[in-house]
This record gives sequence, C-alpha cells and structure tokens, in this order.
Amino acid sequence: MSKPEKTDIAAVRTPASKEVALVYLKIGTVGFGGGYAVMGLIHAELVEKHGWLDEQRYQNMLSLAEMAPGALTVNLLAVIAYRLGGVWTMLIATGALILPSFLAILLLAGVILAWQGVGLVQGALAGLTSGVVGLMLAVAWDLLEKFPRHWYYYAVGLVALAADFFLHLNPVWLILAGALAGGGKAFFFSRRGGSAGKPKSGV
Amino acid sequence: MLSITLAELAWSFLRVGLFGFGGGFAMIPLMQAAAVNEYHWLTMKQFSAAIAVGQITPGPVAISATFIGYQAAGISGAVVATLAVFTPSILAMYLLARFYLRVRADPVVQGMMHGVLPVIVALIVMVALGLGQEGVASLWQVLVVAVTVLLAIRARVPYVLLILGSTVVGMVATLAGKHF
Repeated sequence: MSKPEKTDIAAVRTPASKEVALVYLKIGTVGFGGGYAVMGLIHAELVEKHGWLDEQRYQNMLSLAEMAPGALTVNLLAVIAYRLGGVWTMLIATGALILPSFLAILLLAGVILAWQGVGLVQGALAGLTSGVVGLMLAVAWDLLEKFPRHWYYYAVGLVALAADFFLHLNPVWLILAGALAGGGKAFFFSRRGGSAGKPKSGV
Repeated sequence: MLSITLAELAWSFLRVGLFGFGGGFAMIPLMQAAAVNEYHWLTMKQFSAAIAVGQITPGPVAISATFIGYQAAGISGAVVATLAVFTPSILAMYLLARFYLRVRADPVVQGMMHGVLPVIVALIVMVALGLGQEGVASLWQVLVVAVTVLLAIRARVPYVLLILGSTVVGMVATLAGKHF
C-alpha cells in the first residue's frame, strides 16, 4: 500500500516511550467525560499535533479498538502505544493515562462515602443518579446504531431484555448467548449474500 | 479476610473487563452484577455514585472500578480493582494488534460482535431502569433524566457537563426544599 509522502516523513519520527507517556498523562488529565469529547482530543493530540500516525492508521486502530472489550479510549490508546513502541510503551503509557482519574476517584470516593449522610451531598447524589440514568439511556440509544438494522438483532435484544428481567441471570451468560446468536447466524447464513451482516456504520 | 475480598475484587473485575464489549458503558451492568448483587460491596445508591464519579473525573467509565474497590477494601482494593478491570482490554489489544487481519476478516467474529451489542443495549437499559426505580423519585429528577437524554443524543453535550449540571440541580433542589 503506497502512503502519501507527508505520512512517510511523520512515520520516521518514532517517539520515545517517555514522550508517549507524557502525552497520555495529559490526555488522562484533561480528557474529561469519556465518549466523543475525548476521541476528539486524542485525534488532535496524536494525529494533528504530534503526527505519530496518519488518518488512515488512526481509523484502522479505531476499528481495532472497537472489537476489544472495555473502554474505547483505553483500547485505542493502548494499541497506538503498542504500535509506537512495543509492549513496554503500551504498559507505561496506559498507566500514565489512567493514573490521573485513579487519583481523582480516590479523592472523591473518600468525600462521598464519608459525607453520604449530609443533606446537601444526598441532594447532589440524587441529581447525579438522575444524570447517570439519562446518560445510560442515551448511550443505549447510540449503541443501537452499531449493529445491523435487521429484525434478528432486535429479537436478540428483546430476548436478552426478557431473560434479564425474569431470570436474573448473570450478564456474562447473556453476553455469551448474544455472541453465540450472532456468530451462529453468520456461520450458517454468511454464504447467502450476507447483506444482513453489514453494519450500518459510518457514524 | 482482606485478602479474600481482594481476590474476589480481582476475579470480579477481570470478568467485567473481559466481557464489557461495546465500550465503557457496557461494563456497568457487569459491575452492578458483581458489586451490588453478588458481593454486596455497595448499595444501589452508592453504585450510582460510583458510576457518576466515573463520569465527572477524566478517563473512562471503567474507572468506577476504583471507587468500588476502595469501598470494598480501601486503597489496596482500589488498586486491585483498577488493575483487574483494565488488564483484559490491554491484553486483548495486544493480541488484536498482532493477529487482527485474520480475526477482523472473519464473518463469524463480526457476527458475534453484532449479536453481543443488542444484549449490551438491553443490559444497559435494565441497569438504567433499576437505578431509576431506586433513586429517581421526585419530579425534578424525572425532568433531569429527560433533559439529559435529549442533550446527550441531540446536542452531543459532553457527558461531564451533563453530570455536573444534574449535580448542581440536585443541590439546588435540596436547598430549595429546605427553605421553602
């Protein structure tokens, strides 16, 4: 695959693991709130400002990160760090990314757990809970875009909803069952055109 | 006693990290199953605080594991839970980076992802309803939920602003309730 010339120049400059860790520390400190806000910051830092990877590579890494379990931002930054400098860089840089929020959480956990009986803190928690419920519903709505618009997947979702409500199974079993349902469908029907297997992506 | 709790934390959060497909929010139902239902480290109210705190701090939702670990077993619990929740992600990214061309082209792997996502949506909705049933009682709270959903979906307002906004509304509502 031939790359544009600008990319080749950028790819030559491989950063030291310390350099990567410092940039990740910055992202971990100012990257509030997860989701699209942080994705923009990551792109600005790594692609635009430091030029450690080009747009094409960034998109490749992103689609890779979406396949793995866990937080998208951590997955994305971990795999980019691995590509930039191997396993050590990945471990050090990811640690640097997580450290600021780890410390902030400890501080807040201490405050909240110590003062959870105070009226104002209870009010704050009541507000927080409402905000979290709203956010979760919004995230669920956004996730609907990530699988194919086909009755089969909506049926899988409805079955999971019913199973969770009536059977109180551990979510792990439901997730495994979902993987089986989706994988089984692809296994048996992938030769028949497979248009149903195409995600409605590009969001 | 403490070492048993630490082992339980490690085991629980490794599972959370391993099965949280579809982004950080996919981990929330798994965290609830472990921390509230299975091991009773937190009440439902404290759990919603754990998730909220994960939103107002920088970094991913998974960092709520730190809060849960701290509540269950102090600082060492926080460290163990945090390491455990991120280990599967990092391991998976390492493996994917090495083998992904083979994995990604496989339609069955794609199909598995597509089958998991509707389940994740269902689980997230159920946790949201459970949190709502437990902690959303007043009219102002219902309004906050509705406004948050709208602003997040339609206006793409950053999560941190929505969470801070609802906190402020909660404090104002409490003060107003006391004085009027």
